[in-house]
Amino acid sequence: MSTDSIADQMGPAKRGVGVAGSGRSAGPRKKNTRVRAKAWTYIIFTAPALILLLLINLYPVIYAAYQSLRNGTLIQGGDFVGFANYINTLISGNLTPAFWQAALFTLIFTLVGVFGSWVIGLVLALLLRTRIPAGGVFKVLLLLPWIVPVVVSAFSWNWLVATPQSPFPMLAQALGLGNVLFLANPTLAKITVCVFKVWISFPFMMMMMSSALASVDNNVYEAARVDGAGSWQTFSQITLPLISRSTYISWILMTIFCVNDFPTIFLLTGGGPVGSTTSLVVLAYRTVFENFQVGPGVAIAFMTTIVLIVVSVILYRQIRKASVE
Amino acid sequence: MANSFTGSNFSRRGFLGLAGAAASIPLLAACTGGSSSGGGSSKTLKFWNMPWGNTAFNPLDKKITEAYKPANGLPAATYQEIQWANFTQTFSSAVASNTGPAVSSGGGTQAFQFESQGAIAYADNLLNSWKNNGLYNDFLPGLLDAMKVPKGYAAVPYNLDMRVLWYSKSLLSQAGASVPTDWQSFLDTCAALKKIGVYGYGTSAGAGSYTGGHILVSWMINNGGGLFDSNQQPNCVTQENIDAMNFVLECVSKGYVDPASPTYTSANAQSQWKAKKFGMGFDTAGLAQNVGGDALNDLVVGSPLTSPNGKKGALYFPNNIMMYKNTPSQQGSEAFLTYYYQNMSPLWTQATGIGLPPLKSITQTKEFQANANNVKVINEWQPISKTWAAPGGTALFLGVTTVDGTPAMDTFTQSILGGKTDAKTALTTLQNTIKANMKS
Repeated sequence: MSTDSIADQMGPAKRGVGVAGSGRSAGPRKKNTRVRAKAWTYIIFTAPALILLLLINLYPVIYAAYQSLRNGTLIQGGDFVGFANYINTLISGNLTPAFWQAALFTLIFTLVGVFGSWVIGLVLALLLRTRIPAGGVFKVLLLLPWIVPVVVSAFSWNWLVATPQSPFPMLAQALGLGNVLFLANPTLAKITVCVFKVWISFPFMMMMMSSALASVDNNVYEAARVDGAGSWQTFSQITLPLISRSTYISWILMTIFCVNDFPTIFLLTGGGPVGSTTSLVVLAYRTVFENFQVGPGVAIAFMTTIVLIVVSVILYRQIRKASVE
Repeated sequence: MANSFTGSNFSRRGFLGLAGAAASIPLLAACTGGSSSGGGSSKTLKFWNMPWGNTAFNPLDKKITEAYKPANGLPAATYQEIQWANFTQTFSSAVASNTGPAVSSGGGTQAFQFESQGAIAYADNLLNSWKNNGLYNDFLPGLLDAMKVPKGYAAVPYNLDMRVLWYSKSLLSQAGASVPTDWQSFLDTCAALKKIGVYGYGTSAGAGSYTGGHILVSWMINNGGGLFDSNQQPNCVTQENIDAMNFVLECVSKGYVDPASPTYTSANAQSQWKAKKFGMGFDTAGLAQNVGGDALNDLVVGSPLTSPNGKKGALYFPNNIMMYKNTPSQQGSEAFLTYYYQNMSPLWTQATGIGLPPLKSITQTKEFQANANNVKVINEWQPISKTWAAPGGTALFLGVTTVDGTPAMDTFTQSILGGKTDAKTALTTLQNTIKANMKS
């Protein structure tokens, strides 16, 4: 049971109204005791799971926070250095240029990943609502990029673009574009990685948007048609607002997926060339496990988390706003 | 270091959990009282080995290990295969929590990292005992020196990961080029290969492939340079290194290097060799086997090149086996290693795909001698090869972990092979990054 429903039930209880409605037989005092007992029951039943969650999630996070304030290695705690790891990363350390480069790429990667996959997912979801032959087959085929393990996808994309004999460079050559270095050119590598991310992610967006569109009452469209609304007006004034809640949820989820995406980047480019496709999570990994600098690496991860929380909260507010509207 | 990375689903939560878990281990270890004989409760000696070769390697290695019959009172050995994926975390967390092995192989610089943390049992006694049974003198030249740190021998050489010059007989013949012997003839051969649309400097420096960087350091060592001085401090911006990098930049600008190679994986490079787009280049001693097919007969190891300074040299990785202080019996660890080294030759004679052997006796077996390329590598490349510590020293040390498969080295390599920098700038950036990383 969600905390909302507990609160919903406790609200009337506090006002002296029982869960099953007001009744003369139970006095306010007796009801309060019953509600309190019920609350304790909830607490007792949820406590084991909560404690387990705290142990699994919170303890490592707290310990990692502690490590971010030290200059240790993977097997030694090191000395307490205060916020030096954060300052050195953000302002004046040898990691600073790499951090800001990674932050910028993470932003680009996330924006393209979220909105690119959303646009394609929404278009496909709208198309799949129309009566097309073998629509089910198309749905399954379109889901493949999401279903296939990313390791397999990354190797496939590497095969598609890596060498001059790969299909895409050959195609580019045939089109007179010359020897296009999809992974070796820093700008093209960024584009390739972002396109790869959109390709992997659009099926998720398509599913989210499909379910959102399915929940829209057809009568609304009928009414719009009667009122003389055109296709674009119907889409922009009716469809988009009605699916906005699902849209914001999918944006939150995809933002988290993009910022945290390690394998897509690491397997395709390793963060190169010359760090051009290194995202914050890749930088954090390499700092801890390749440079053996646990403190700065965890500091990067923490700062990423904080930004992610802020973005999620902003989008969550939009969801609430959309719900109210 | 032969470090083949396999991808894993990795998330922020996973990362934090992992980092937190790794970080928590010292605390947990402290709670146990830090007994040096932790893990000894089972009274067996844990031997962890990596998948050094093909699928035949670990089963045979396990068989050898489990055939060990310890002398009275000494522990028996158990075998555990450790995957390369995330091996640093695997070892770090195990060692920190006193649940690690008594004896293991691992990354080429791993022993030196753990030595600096006080977790390694020095091999001096073991090596002294091997002076009596012939093993000590059986090591190829220079290998034992590479393991020596100020307090003793941090590890025992195990298998050699070499970086050598390869060429395609058929493509050189087609181009009418001769096998290079020095830097100028290397350029000439590259020029001839370019005329038939083939790259003469085949390399790779993309995701998980560190060969490109290794070869850049090889050029430096070839020219009498390298990354560290005799005080084990970075000394990258030297005339030898600048000349070497200018030579590579010349190869890049003349189109002898595949422009996509900065982001090639090892598999991409092998596919280029297979497609006959690489006619010459540098790779591990196992390149012909890895490419397979016609390449087995067509690819040949060339001789080391002579630099304009009249020197020869290359980078190599003497992978090693280390003993840990956390053992049920140090005497047991040493007895097991003595047995292992006396019985490990089938790993090479039965073609399990492991790197080259550290013992002369194995290189003299008829099975090893049957592979002309391997024989050439041992005879011509091994004696002139040096470790990361060059030119200042021969022994590995903790500081080399700042260049072995690190982002600093990747960036340096990709910027040189991309040709968008000059030698001095790239070397200065590398120098500054190594310095900063060694300090932190």
